[in-house]
Parts: sequence; structure tokens; C-alpha cells
Amino acid sequence: MNFEVIIGIEIHCELKTNTKMFSSAPLSFAAVPNTCTNEIDLGMPGTLPCVNKDAVKSAVKACLATNCTIDTLIRFDRKNYYYSDLPKGFQITQQFYPIGSHGKVNIQTDEGTKEIRLNRIHMEEDTAKQFHTDAGTMIDFNRAGTPLIEIVSEPDMRNGKEAAAYVEEIRKTLYYLGVSDVRMEEGSLRCDVNISLRPYGSDVLGAKAEIKNLNSIANVQRAIEYEMKRQNDILLAGGVVTQATLRYDEATRQTVEMRKKEGAVDYKYFPEPNIFPIRIDEALMQDIKENMPELPKERYQTYVTTYELSDYDANTLVANKELSDFFNEAVAHTKEYKLVANWLLGDVSAYLNKNGLQIQDSKLEAKELASMIDMVANREISSKQAKEVFEGIVEGKSAKAVVKEKGMEQLSDPNAILDLVKQVLDANPQSIEDFKNGKDRAVGFLVGQVMKLSKGQANPGLTNKLLVEELNKR
Amino acid sequence: MEKDKAYFRKLANQIMFDLSDEELEELKKEFEVTIRKMDLLDKINTDDVKEMVYPFEGETHFLREDVVDRVVTQEEALANAPEVREGQVLVPKVVK
Amino acid sequence: MRIQDCKEKELNKLVDLQAKLVKANEKLNAVVSYCDVDAQLENYTAPTDAPLYGTPVVLKDNISTKGVRTTASSRILDNYVPFYDATVVKKLRDAGAIFTCKSAMDELGMGGTGLNAYTGKVNNPYDLERITGGSSSGSAALVAAGLSPLAIGTDTGDSIRKPAAYCGIVGVKPTYGRISRYGVIPYASSLDHVGYFTTNIQDAALALEVMAGRDDQDMTSSYEEVAPYASLLKADLKGKKIGIISNVVDAIVDPRFRPSFDAFTKKLEQQGAILEMVTFDQDLMNALLPTYFIISNAEATANHSNLDGIRFGMREPGADLTEIMINSRTKGFSSEVRKRFVIGSYSLFTENQEKIFRKAQKVRRVIVEALDDALKNYDILLAPAAGTLAPKPDESFGEDLNNTFMVAENHMLLGNFSGYPSITVPYDVVDTMPVAINLLARAFDEQTMFNVAKGIEDITGLAGMTKEDF
Repeated sequence: MNFEVIIGIEIHCELKTNTKMFSSAPLSFAAVPNTCTNEIDLGMPGTLPCVNKDAVKSAVKACLATNCTIDTLIRFDRKNYYYSDLPKGFQITQQFYPIGSHGKVNIQTDEGTKEIRLNRIHMEEDTAKQFHTDAGTMIDFNRAGTPLIEIVSEPDMRNGKEAAAYVEEIRKTLYYLGVSDVRMEEGSLRCDVNISLRPYGSDVLGAKAEIKNLNSIANVQRAIEYEMKRQNDILLAGGVVTQATLRYDEATRQTVEMRKKEGAVDYKYFPEPNIFPIRIDEALMQDIKENMPELPKERYQTYVTTYELSDYDANTLVANKELSDFFNEAVAHTKEYKLVANWLLGDVSAYLNKNGLQIQDSKLEAKELASMIDMVANREISSKQAKEVFEGIVEGKSAKAVVKEKGMEQLSDPNAILDLVKQVLDANPQSIEDFKNGKDRAVGFLVGQVMKLSKGQANPGLTNKLLVEELNKR
Repeated sequence: MEKDKAYFRKLANQIMFDLSDEELEELKKEFEVTIRKMDLLDKINTDDVKEMVYPFEGETHFLREDVVDRVVTQEEALANAPEVREGQVLVPKVVK
Repeated sequence: MRIQDCKEKELNKLVDLQAKLVKANEKLNAVVSYCDVDAQLENYTAPTDAPLYGTPVVLKDNISTKGVRTTASSRILDNYVPFYDATVVKKLRDAGAIFTCKSAMDELGMGGTGLNAYTGKVNNPYDLERITGGSSSGSAALVAAGLSPLAIGTDTGDSIRKPAAYCGIVGVKPTYGRISRYGVIPYASSLDHVGYFTTNIQDAALALEVMAGRDDQDMTSSYEEVAPYASLLKADLKGKKIGIISNVVDAIVDPRFRPSFDAFTKKLEQQGAILEMVTFDQDLMNALLPTYFIISNAEATANHSNLDGIRFGMREPGADLTEIMINSRTKGFSSEVRKRFVIGSYSLFTENQEKIFRKAQKVRRVIVEALDDALKNYDILLAPAAGTLAPKPDESFGEDLNNTFMVAENHMLLGNFSGYPSITVPYDVVDTMPVAINLLARAFDEQTMFNVAKGIEDITGLAGMTKEDF
């Protein structure tokens, strides 16, 4: 790039509380239109907002997880504009006193860990949903009033990869907090990207493009990479980039202008007179802090420190919370941490992908995987046999049941093994000679013969021990 | 800057209504009176005075429990809507 | 008319009263919609000891009533029927009230004359040519005419207390947050109060007991305990320190005023009240009205952004969404209201907010602090409720009358800015027209306010005064 790329991201996250931000109507997703509202959500005359405690708690959790400074005095403001999806003609938001500010998250880049700063986190309410048809636009107010938190980053990102990593980090964190479904394709996580270019060394921001309605993290990256190049080419040719609002067209893989920004709209922000400032008291803050779920970065730390997983393995597991939860459950039943990780990231993931399943939908049980892995580690079954056992446990069977079913039960009876040992020794007098002559390799060969005779089921350790004992007798 | 009728008309349109020529003429006069009346405000010293947004300023603690309580039927929600289609309020197609 | 009388009558007398009301309205033009009294009587379940058993109640038409048209006297809501009740309606109904009608008001509460209702001028029973004042015009007229013992209104910039004065009845604006605003179509949220009219102080105290109390749906409503105002009511003037606002008294030019007022204050002193003149900084008093206009217009503009013809109300046709909104709001709001909205919007623009809207909010604080200073030394502040008798329409005030005079008309804004409780009580009849004083007490000190008012009522003997032969 001939110019420095400055990227900032605004994320809107729909909280999965039971009720709306300012009313006790239920949240909805794909419910029958206009069946999840009341007079408040519809902006009927005379209604007043009533603040949802759980929404506030979720916002606090998001602030704690991202190291924000928390303003415990909750204050709301009005953002005034007219549109058909905005019932009151204003949105209640937190313009002047956001609940969180000066936060930060870390992302992994090719150059290592990079800190992305957060400017603010604040609470607000969602608009209604509109369906545009040729007969007209239909408005469904089910979504109106849904609690949102808006997370605004500082313009700290420099390319599409960093932006994608940042959105992923936020998404993962919010998911671990349990405050939202954070599905971009469903709209519970929405991303607007602000991007501008400037000459290296300059501290003046260039004209910015706002890319809206991105529906996947992959598209965040693609849209940015396209836009970076587009602006770069304009500037190189001596042209001027105009401020614009864009969308990303998946089909053509280009950013497309949505509408000309006809002079900034003045939202006439002023404090919401119908909500007195609310203090989150010590007791509530304590309650929230004590009940914070484990965060991805905390889990990652545990994985590399306690379980000594590789950085790659730890990150990959943490990236999928359910898989990571599964790992946690499995390692409660076995100490073979690395093996568990290998299996999960290898065969298990392959199986899930092939069958289009998420781990929580499969019949595989964590303790059965652990059980199988222990058997491999104790050499009760071979790795090859384990693959067969795996096919059974993904159907929900217990590992031991599968082993039994497939006749893989290990022979551990010393008498039975001794029998086989004697048989092998009787059949291999030359090896006995070799052993007496100091050729230790003979032991390995003879153990192999016992294993062959027992169809691989003799306990190798015990076999070795008994064999050597017997050899010394002969 | 002397504000002309076109300016006030633009302001009115921004908040979604119109004013007739006559009304704009009246508004222009009333606006001038309002500006003059603001001199009365300027006489009051407000250095280091914070805005009074609410009549009472003690902190509150109440937050509503997140329990579903009040929902209305689709029928009630749409009872006053001038135009309805497929259980939704209908307006002319909004150009995106 | 008194609440007690209603409790003693048979319920079906209310049907006759309703007929009387309909007839009387031909002259008063105070009603927007009639409520179905028969249906309410059929479903009536209140016990006989309910505080408002058998009591007919009028509701100002900005109070949401489920299933009953609610218009706020604005054309844009001419066909609007709420599907929910305001909290105050529920409380009144639970106490046994039977609603007779929705009364006319200055459109959306934005007016002080009773000339700006969509249904036309509301007439003062004392002289049908004269105005009732506003914005709670119809409620005032109906109580003054002896057609209801209780009428609910709202007071944002004296909209109960001024019409009470013009119509010779008791008008109460309780403390801000005392009565829930949930379901009340707003004007200016930080100044709006739900209040009411009665013909006597006993009823006023009782009505507050019924309507007051914390409502979780209104996050500005108060947790203060609701005292048994009526049972604790007693005439109480002795030793009460009453500050008379000199700025108001001195501003009144009508020569009939002073003798009447002086005679009255003398009687107060005879009852043991300690009267002193208190003077506020004149510049501050002159700032009352512009401060009010700026704050109220700005908040109102935002509050009524939901009135767009989309989900409810009168929708006018249009080729696109913008046209529909513009046409609906242009036709739906009167000229007066639209002009005020423009000024409200202007004062909220980012480049103007600091020197207009926020400046007004700062001046509000200076005003309230001055008021607090005064209330350190007095239990009650007292002033004439209006500078004149109820005017005729052509006598109503333009914006450019001199400041000092305007102080007499606008001092009751002190009660809206501060949120402190305030009551208008008639004290004399001058040339057949009522005159009244206004009391202002400390926050949540309604008991003192009622008790002093009771003392006044006992002196004047005007309890229950109505004008029924109009």
C-alpha cells in the first residue's frame, strides 16, 4: 500500500435478554409479525421507557471483558430523526455518558499480538424491521426496542485481516459472556466499517468511507481489501476520495455506493427526560463481577499453561466455545490433554464437518472420548483400533462397550499371556539363543510374536515383563 | 444572520411538516421575538452552573426485572394503523 | 359538587348527570368525547366504601383511556383509540370513579387560553364569552359549572392552576413524580405534572390519596409514601410563615385587585399567619417565560415526533413516506403548534443547543435555587394566581407585552421548574368573576399546602363554589 489505511469498526450486538430494552414485551426472532410488542415499542402516545436490568448487566459484562472504564451512573439520551422504522421519532441511546469507555482487546496478527483500543460501549434500542416489496414497505415492530450494545473501536486497524481478527475477538468474547447469539448472518451482530487512507507520517485523517450491512467476517475482510485498493488507486491517480456510505456486493465482490451523504444529519442529542439517572450500586456490580463467565483469553491461558497445549491448538479450540467446553469436560476424565486436543481438532472436527454437525448436536460424549484416549495411552488398544472405536463412540456408544463389541478387549490375564509367551519361546529357540548372547533385539521380536499370536490384544507391557522373566528362566 | 422564510421552511420540512407562506411570515416575526426574549436569559449569570435536566436529581436505583409481562395482540398493535398488510403496517415502498 | 355528595347518591343518578352534562356542553363546548356511563354502571364492582364510590370524573383528553378516543385536542389524533389505560385512569377506576367524558384542551397542552382546541373555544361558565384559560380548559369548565366534582388535568406551565383561577375552583399541581405520567400524552416531560380540579380542599386532599404513588412504569415517579392527606387535613394558618411574592403583586395593574387582595391577606393574619413580602430578583422573574418556552418547545418537538400518521392517527395520502409524514403532520397540527415545533427544533440543533436549550436549563437551575433560598424562610409562598380576571379572547396576551406585567401571568412556572407542589384556591368574586391565589410549598409537602389552603377556604367560605346558571 502506498498509503496508510486507517480502519475503525462499529459493532452493534443484539442482546439475548428476555424482554426489550425499555419495555417488558418479549424479544422475538422469526415470530409472527407484530406479536411481540406493546404500546411502548410501538411508540404510542403517552408511553414511557422502563430500563431492563439484564440489559444493563450484559452491558457491564461486555465492559468488564474488554477492560473498559465503567460509568456506573446510567444516563440515556435521545437521538432524534424521522424514519418509518423508528416509532418514537427518536432512539433512546447513550450519547454523552456511555456505560463503558477506554477499553481494549488483543488480536493476533502476522507481526504478533496487537492491541485494539475501544472508544466506547453503550446501550441503545433497535429499530423495527422493514420488508420492501413492490406493493410497498411493510413494517414489523417485533424487533423495535430490542436491547443493543454498540461497541466502537478506535481507528487502530490497518488492514482487512486485522479488522476480521478484531471482529472475531469481539464476537467470541460476547459469545463466551452469553449475552448474545452474535450471529452476523442473523443480524444479532452487525458491523459497520469506517475506512480512510492517508500518506504515511500524516496525522490528518482522509475522507472516510463507511461500509455498512456486512453479513460475515469474511466479507468484512474482503470489503476492506477491495476498498483499500479502490481508494489507493484513486489517490495514486491524483484523485480525491469522497466521503460515502457503501455496501459490499457479494456477487461482484465490490463496494457499492448506497447513498450520497447529503450533509451530516443533526441528531439534536439531548438527555432523555423520562429516565432519571440510575446508579448501579456496589452490590449489583459485585454480583456481576462474581458471576462473570470464563473469557476466551482466560481459557487460552489455561490451555497453554495448565494443559500445555500449543498456541495454535489453544486458539483453535477457544475459537469454538462448544468445542472448547467439550475439551474441558474431556480433560476432567483424562490427563492426556494433548491427545484430547489432537482428537478434537483432527478426527472429531473432520467427522463433524463431514456430517454438517456442531459438536453439541453430535452424540459423542466427552467422557467416552476420554476413556478411549486413556485406553490408547495405556496401550490397551492401538491407534489403529482407536479409529474403529471412534466410529462407535460418535454414535453415542461407550468406548468400553465398543471395545468389547469388536473383540478388542485386551488380554491382561498374566496366566494367559504366560501361556502365549511359552508358546512363542518354544517356537523360537534361536531367539532364546540370541537373547542369551546379548542381542536385546530378540526381546522386541519375541514380544511381536506374542502380540501376533494374541491378535494384538496382549497387554504389551505385561507381555514384555513376563517374556523377559521367562527368558531368564530358560 | 437574518433568517428568511426559505430557511424556516427548510427547518419545518426537516421535522416533517410544511408551513404556508403566511405561517412562515408569522413564524419569522415570532422567531425574532424569541431571540429578543433570549436577552432576558442572557442577563442571568450561569457561569459554572450545570444544566438542570430533571426537577429532582437524586440518583435512583430501580431497574426492571427482565421478565416478560406486557404484550399486546397483533390486532391491538395494528388497530389504529391506517394501512395494514400481512399483519404489518404498510407504507409506500421506501427507496433504499 | 362534592365527592361526598356523590357517594351518598344512587348510582343511576349518574345517568341523569350525564344527560345534564351533554346539555350543558352546548354552551361550554368543553367535551371532546363522551364516555359510556351506562356500560360502566353495568360493570361496576367498586365497594360502597371505595374512596370515589359513585363519583363522576372528567379526564382531560391527553389521558389515555383504553377503548375511548383520546385526541389531546389535536386533529392528528382525531381518530386515535388507545389500547391501554393511563396508570392514573386505573387508579381512579379502582377507587370507584365513573368517567363521564374526555375534556377539551389547548392542542397537545401547548397553550394557556382554551382557544386552541380542535373542537373550538371552551367557554367559561362565569361568562361564556370569556376564556377558561388552559391548557386544561374543559376540565376546569366542567368542575366550575358544577357538572363534576373532580376533573383530571395536566400542568406544564400552570395549565391547571391558571384555569382554576379563571374558573373559580381549586386546581392542584402536586409534586413532580407524585402522580404517574404513564399513559399521559406529554407536552414537556421535565415540566409535565398530572393534577386535577375540585370545588373544595377536602376533595383535593382525597383525590391525591387516590392518584398518588410510585409506578414502576414511570421512571420519574416518586417512592415517597402517600400520606392520608384527607384524614390529616385541618385548617392550619396559625404560625405559618407565608411569603407573598411582591414581584407579582406589584405587577398587577387592575385597580380592583389590591383592595380585594389586601382584605384577604388581612384575614390570613387574623388567623395567625405570619405574612411577609418576599422579592425575587426581577431579572430572574423576567426570565421565567422565555426559559419555559425554550425548554418546553424543545422537549415537545421531540416528544411528538411519534405523531406521523404511520402507525396511528390521521394519515394523509402521499406518494412516498416523506410526503405522507409531511402531509399528515401539516394537516394534523395547528399553525400554532407547528410554529412552536420549528422553534423547538431550532433550539436543539447542535450549533444552537449550548446557547439556547442548555442555557435555558441552566437558568432553570438558578431559578430553582432562588426558590429554595426563599423556601428556607417560609412554609409557603403565596401570590395572586392571575394578573387579571378571566379575559375575553381579544384581550388574551400577545408575546410583546412588557416583562414586568408578564411576571404576574407566569410566576406559577416556579412550580413547574422546581417540581414543588402548588395549588390555586379562589378567594373572592370581583364583578361576578372569580379571583384566586396560588400557593407553592416544598417538595412532597402537600399536607402543609392543603392545610393552609383549608385555612384559606374556611376564611373565604368559598368551598364548593360553582357557577351553574350559565
